[in-house]
Amino acid sequence: MAVSWLGRLAARAPVPVYPLLGIGGERALYPLALAGRVTRVDSPRHASVLLVAGHVPVHHHEALKRVHDQLPRPFATLWFRSQPLPGLENARRVDDPATLTDELVALHRELQTGQRGSSPRLLPDEPPNPWEGLGDDGHGGEGMMGGTPYGRPMAMNMQDDIRDGLTLDSLTFRLGPFYPLLPPGLAAEITLQGDVIQSWTNQSPAYPRALDAVFQTARERPVAIAELELARARHHLRHLYRALRLAGLEGLGLKALRLARELTPASHLDGLRRQLTRAGFFRLAALDGGALDAETARRLGGPAARAAGIDTDRRSDDAHYRRLGFRPALGRGGDTRARWHQKLAEIEQSLALAGRAVDEGDLTTVGPGGLETPCGPWRERPAQDAGGCLEALLPGMEWDSALATIASLDLAEGSASPPPGEAHAEEPQ
Amino acid sequence: MMAWAAMVLTFLALAVGGYAVAVADRLIAGACGWPHQGNAWLAPLARGAWLYRQDANVTEAPDRPAWRLAPALYLALAALGLALVPWSPTLVVADLATGVVLWGSLEALATVAIFLHGWSANAPLALIGGYRYVALGLSYILVSMFVLIGVVLPAESLKFSQVVAAQEELWNVVRQPLGLPLFLIVGLGLTFWGPLNLADSTDLAGGTASEVSGPPRLVWEIARVAMLVAFSGIAATAFLGGWLGPWLPGPLWLALKMLAVLLALAWLGRVLPRLAPERCVTLMWVVLLPLSFVDLIWAGLEAL
Repeated sequence: MAVSWLGRLAARAPVPVYPLLGIGGERALYPLALAGRVTRVDSPRHASVLLVAGHVPVHHHEALKRVHDQLPRPFATLWFRSQPLPGLENARRVDDPATLTDELVALHRELQTGQRGSSPRLLPDEPPNPWEGLGDDGHGGEGMMGGTPYGRPMAMNMQDDIRDGLTLDSLTFRLGPFYPLLPPGLAAEITLQGDVIQSWTNQSPAYPRALDAVFQTARERPVAIAELELARARHHLRHLYRALRLAGLEGLGLKALRLARELTPASHLDGLRRQLTRAGFFRLAALDGGALDAETARRLGGPAARAAGIDTDRRSDDAHYRRLGFRPALGRGGDTRARWHQKLAEIEQSLALAGRAVDEGDLTTVGPGGLETPCGPWRERPAQDAGGCLEALLPGMEWDSALATIASLDLAEGSASPPPGEAHAEEPQ
Repeated sequence: MMAWAAMVLTFLALAVGGYAVAVADRLIAGACGWPHQGNAWLAPLARGAWLYRQDANVTEAPDRPAWRLAPALYLALAALGLALVPWSPTLVVADLATGVVLWGSLEALATVAIFLHGWSANAPLALIGGYRYVALGLSYILVSMFVLIGVVLPAESLKFSQVVAAQEELWNVVRQPLGLPLFLIVGLGLTFWGPLNLADSTDLAGGTASEVSGPPRLVWEIARVAMLVAFSGIAATAFLGGWLGPWLPGPLWLALKMLAVLLALAWLGRVLPRLAPERCVTLMWVVLLPLSFVDLIWAGLEAL
């Protein structure tokens, strides 16, 4: 009786959801963030429902299983435009973003009221590697550090500190490809001393993220500049949401998402910019560091390059953009803070261009040709690993500055092609 | 008899205060743009029920006794802290002659409990959370103690009841204007809340609590809000005149002042970004610590 009463009460809690994003999975993220009754969590240990959104490549199925098995019982999985793994035949699948929240709430309620059993474990409950430590707790070797328990080296002093000379024990671990604060797909082996990164080695690149459909269309025929620029501003605002959430300003991030959802040529960024400044985003958050050298900035292109003062923007080649008075906005410094100033400037610029294009009778682009996407020039083939720059950029940075740097870069967006089997990855709202 | 009444009042304050923090935090979040998450009054209870029913997971080779003990230890420290708070001249669980010193020792022991929580999970992100708190904890404690010595000077006693009695004519918040702002900022650090939540932060997927689920996580969350309640009790006692106030009974005055401090901390927690650890160290050692010296000198001159 008591349990059923507790269960009914637990069923009314906001549903803690761990979103595991595959290719094209981000489309589930933004409506979910704005939905009530659901709370997004960053650790699978904190979730009641695992939301697998988008296509997960076969070579990451083992990683998916490991995340799945980390959720404490009772838990359920929901597969959004994704095929449940073998062994999870009873898992629920949805394809309509509009029903996502209701499905998550229903799953949580069924779990708590006993109408649904917990999802089964997919992997044996045993260490991924054999015990190779020395002594009962891996402390039997020299200097009390013995062997490699469960395949992982013990935290120990193997290298000098690269920043301030204060040498601590080195801690090596792997993160990704579904760590929610890294771009989906990105996995890395990381060595830390304290929370200073000593080395960062990418193990798997971020999944390509397809852009708004209008960028595809613009490759084939002229499109309305207003539509193109609103899609660009929307893309940057969603990017800003992810960075603000990481910085502990989720409330402002949600305002950015709402602005992205309701964007029109008459929209303004002034209010959000003012609130960001007042809240101390540029002064207090971990935005120091992350400066790209000129070559890397040029290779990444887009706002990252322009934030470093590199004058590169294919819109300059379009006569109709020039007619609207377009000139690339350029920043200085090329670090994380400069990239966010740049993004905000480009959102304002896009809104202004959209407004002027409408005033000019809904001006269109001149035609197919060079296209500037929100993350740089259109590439026929996705950049194989835009995240490669992290290996040189992150060592020496503190953990939160490193994550803020990653969040400021469009590492996942080297491609404008849609995810497998899908026409468009991002849907304008 | 009074001691028993004070004890009941203390536990009641821990429970009601903790619940009030959870509700206020949700209401403030709603006002700051978060989507509606259902009934704010029911949500903390529902979440508690969910955590209670969830399995307590284990990581690979954790230090299990320490992992399970840390939340209980942190909760015990919060309860001990609140036990030092006088609700009236006679209604206090432990009106120790060394009350202020004991609060300082609780702050130091909190560092141990928080590090234990992060370290014993045997997981990298939890460990980094623990490291961070240890790196910053000393600076919080130093500022906190200098500021508290400032309120001890006019009372000429380390007893919290004497600290309140010394504010009969003028509250310390007016007498030592730097004290309360400094103490509140340090309080955000001591309770790792909002902008100074570097131990259980988003960038670490929950930090020391990133690997915890079920009842142990419930205890940890209760302990965190309980510590916030205890801190607000000490702040109200040291700077806002404790039980002093017209018309209303002393305990009610103290409860209202604690609520005001809690609301201020909860609001700051929602509107400020998380500080970078390096910036936080600089803030503590270069700005707040010298300011706490100024506060102490001010208090000394004022006491002459």
